[in-house]
Amino acid sequence: MSHWLVILGVAALTFSLRASFIVFADPHRFPHAFRQALVFVPPSVLAAIVAPGLLAPDGAIALGLDNPRALAGLVAIGFAIRWRTPLAAIASGMTSLWLLQWGLARLG
Amino acid sequence: MDATASPRRELVDGARQIAPVLVGTVPFGFVAGVVAVASGLTPLEGVALSVLSFSGIAQLVACQLMAADSPVLITIAAAGVVSLRFLMYSAAFSPHLAHLSRRWRLLLAYLMTDQSFAMSVKHFSEPGDARHRHWHFLGSALTLYVSWQLAVVIGVVAGAQVPASWSLDFAVVLCFIALLVPAVRTRADLAAAIVAAAVALAAAGLPFRLSLVVASIAGIAAGMAIELWRKK
Repeated sequence: MSHWLVILGVAALTFSLRASFIVFADPHRFPHAFRQALVFVPPSVLAAIVAPGLLAPDGAIALGLDNPRALAGLVAIGFAIRWRTPLAAIASGMTSLWLLQWGLARLG
Repeated sequence: MDATASPRRELVDGARQIAPVLVGTVPFGFVAGVVAVASGLTPLEGVALSVLSFSGIAQLVACQLMAADSPVLITIAAAGVVSLRFLMYSAAFSPHLAHLSRRWRLLLAYLMTDQSFAMSVKHFSEPGDARHRHWHFLGSALTLYVSWQLAVVIGVVAGAQVPASWSLDFAVVLCFIALLVPAVRTRADLAAAIVAAAVALAAAGLPFRLSLVVASIAGIAAGMAIELWRKK
């Protein structure tokens, strides 16, 4: 039941945000600072999702060898900067993680 | 671009130009489907979430919070925060679509994504005949929509079969990296990203993943501060 409330709420909210200026409002009526803040939404939100996913995958910050996701993530960032296609990050990151997990299992 | 581009020509061009992007979005959709089932949603709920919201990031964040049994309102709010970028896209698009009927604008708003926005905003600003360029947007957006939903359905069906040892949940983080890297274009963007990352780690202990909201606001503030300081 609560799942369906979330589904409908997320659907209504994402649609409202998309339709906001296209359908309902004139962007020039909003203050400049507001529009400028929106420019920084993608880098901020995405970094706030990525950082814990790499450096604290189980909740606590882990920078050691026992956290292969940190290193695999760095590899993926490098590939993404060099090649700029989504597949470069996904393929290099997954391959690195599998290799590291396999290597750590051998060592351990 | 041909000066007398017909609606049909624009539609086909849009679909064709977005095709390379599918290499990234189709695996992402597959992962979104797998994650929905892994988060405890029924297959029908997983597909409904995708068909109605059509946003990988919002879907993944909602799934993460539903898996953690977060309150309904917090879950919706978190998905809203990560979707705030749509406000920016909507503002950038509205002058190009202002001449269209309300029905057209509702349809195009519903189909708007990061990828189709990035491609179409470039196309809209090219010189030449712009009358039918919304068909170009429709072509790219519909191609993304149909392929995305198919990928999610396959992910939802396959979800139960993928063993946890494949660490497929890491593909979600990698998808976000693939979106983050091109989003960092200026020093102010970089400052926003670094501050947001640091605050997200420092605030990781907050309940209901509130760290995401706090970190995003801190990042936005840092970006704006750099921008202000640079202009002085």
